[in-house]
Amino acid sequence: MSALPGPAAAATVVSFRRRVEAALADPTLKTAIERTTGNAERKRAQAVAAFPAFEAARERGRRIKDHVIAHLEHYLLEFERNAIASGAQVHWAASADEAARIVVELCRQARARRVTRVKSMLGEEIGLPHALDAAGLERVETDLAEHIVQLAGDRPSHIVWPSMHRTREQVSALFRRAHRAPHREETIEAMVDSARRELRDKFLGADVAISGANFLIADSGATCTVTNEGNAELCTSPPRVHIVTAGIEKLVPSLPHAFALLRLLVRSATGAELTQYTTFHRGPRRPGDRDGPQEFHIVLVDNGRTRMLADDPLRTMLRCIRCGACMNHCVVYRQLGGHAYGGTYPGPMGAVLTPVLDGLAHSRDLAHACTLNGKCEEVCPVQIPLPTLLRGWRERSWRDGLEPVTLRLGLGLHTFVAARPRLYRLGLALALPLMRGFARGGWIRRMPGLGAWTAHRDFPAPERRSFMARYAAGEGRRAPADEARR
Amino acid sequence: MSARAAILGRVRAASGPHRSDASVVHAEARALLADAASIRPALGAGSLVEAFIARLTSPRVAASAERIATVAGFPAAVGAYLQARGLPPRIALQPEAQLRALAWAGLELHDEVAPDEAVAVVCARWGIAETGSLVFHSGADSPVLAHFLPLHHIVLLRAADILPWLEDYAAATAGQPMPRNVNLVTGASGTTDIEGSLVLGAHGPRYLHVVIAGG
Repeated sequence: MSALPGPAAAATVVSFRRRVEAALADPTLKTAIERTTGNAERKRAQAVAAFPAFEAARERGRRIKDHVIAHLEHYLLEFERNAIASGAQVHWAASADEAARIVVELCRQARARRVTRVKSMLGEEIGLPHALDAAGLERVETDLAEHIVQLAGDRPSHIVWPSMHRTREQVSALFRRAHRAPHREETIEAMVDSARRELRDKFLGADVAISGANFLIADSGATCTVTNEGNAELCTSPPRVHIVTAGIEKLVPSLPHAFALLRLLVRSATGAELTQYTTFHRGPRRPGDRDGPQEFHIVLVDNGRTRMLADDPLRTMLRCIRCGACMNHCVVYRQLGGHAYGGTYPGPMGAVLTPVLDGLAHSRDLAHACTLNGKCEEVCPVQIPLPTLLRGWRERSWRDGLEPVTLRLGLGLHTFVAARPRLYRLGLALALPLMRGFARGGWIRRMPGLGAWTAHRDFPAPERRSFMARYAAGEGRRAPADEARR
Repeated sequence: MSARAAILGRVRAASGPHRSDASVVHAEARALLADAASIRPALGAGSLVEAFIARLTSPRVAASAERIATVAGFPAAVGAYLQARGLPPRIALQPEAQLRALAWAGLELHDEVAPDEAVAVVCARWGIAETGSLVFHSGADSPVLAHFLPLHHIVLLRAADILPWLEDYAAATAGQPMPRNVNLVTGASGTTDIEGSLVLGAHGPRYLHVVIAGG
């Protein structure tokens, strides 16, 4: 079904620059992004304004996450113990491949034909859609946006609104092609209804449901999922087997800690106070239960998280609760959308995570695609210093020799000249008249060597002489009278 | 080495040599919940019931609500709801003893919630005024799908079961065994996945109607 290679491959097949060019050339993408992120930005602002304790709650949320990160071993063992006591089966996966293998093997053991999925970014991270397809299983994505992504054969472009790059006209065409009883009216309501009709019997006829988790509750062994559509519960109640895949950073000590973080997560993601459906799962079907799975599996996934844990300050990224606020407020994301980032996670949080997951050599451009305006850190509900982490990747990329030769040579040359003031001034004295020769009306529109700049905007024409030259000539020195007036 | 041992080993190595006692960790975790009033939103004005209804019927939650004097009036309220919307007098009724004991004359009842069920009538364990949420526990008399399959989700809630904040639910159930599913339901099913416009009835109910008894 999936038309594109897995996340790691996608980052290497096409260069970042090519993906950016494709995104910028897309005639409808900018409108689609602006609709969703603009909406999200407004709604978050309203929700935060209506919650005067937000800053205090945010500080507390950060401390809760930091506490769990500092005592991760304790909480992993406590969660495992309580989950097993509830009748759940707990599996551990060190890598993405291992996690996907475990899930596929569990599906095989269940002799599953049809598998329903609840949207989970971890599922995307471990390449689950591809692994399930490759195993010959009928995979049914049930989140409306993931359903659209599956029909279109593309990849999620946002962690909360995965199909935000699609316009309603495109969705309509996809549904008409794929649905058994598609909508007749060209309204969004009718399209949503079409998906409802299409997916209803798939929910009820599935053998296995696979979901993620927003939180793992250590003191009960429960997992928590939040959704707005109700697809999670329609997925996980009918089949014989329910598999939860979750990153090991999703732990919280107890239910009230989860509530404290839910207040931040939902406001930051959609601007609501709580998602329509907040569900806690604990173990398999109990005697007498009218629905629910016979088997309940939890796959705890590392996939780079312990490497982040060992790295200060990258460890702070384990606080992330996947709300998407950083991308909704990012000037770069709002120009490009999610696909240009090339990894599972886009936007600022994606630019920090992708080098961990796919390797810095494949993703070093992401840290540079950032203006360092600090907006992401400002809106992050758990105060992750995203700009600092991105600067960290820039430095590491330089240290590891991943920056291109031209840049290394250029900077080397600059360092050589800048450390020799006479040479620097001489160079400047030669360059300024040359540059002025290319200027028309105070702006340089084109000049050899400046192409990367002037392809997108003009370069201001420099002054006739440098500041140092003018200073040396006595220009602009404050007259004694000026001093006296101060 | 198993993945479990490898992961725990790496966690241990990354966390450094210092290891806190479980009691110390738990005390630290409890301290992170201190002074709850300073990190949660204020409730709406008026009584707890009024605050709950204000959240429930706010544009973000968009459910409807009505109040009745006692639980005995619930079947009549359900009948009136169906009639007002031109729905046939047939409902899937949650197999819960107290609900079953009410006088349902004039309504055709069934247990099993059908895949295309029009109306399911259930009772909630608790309401939460902070968010306008309803709390359901799964169990022998409480199938989970009753809250997700129907188009109209009609819920009985006793006013005495309305709690102020989310934490109060955790406190109310502390020490009791947790059910297989706890469902916090805050409004009808909705999606903003197509061009950001909110559409109700995505996969779950399109209409949530809460009948509050007493208070």
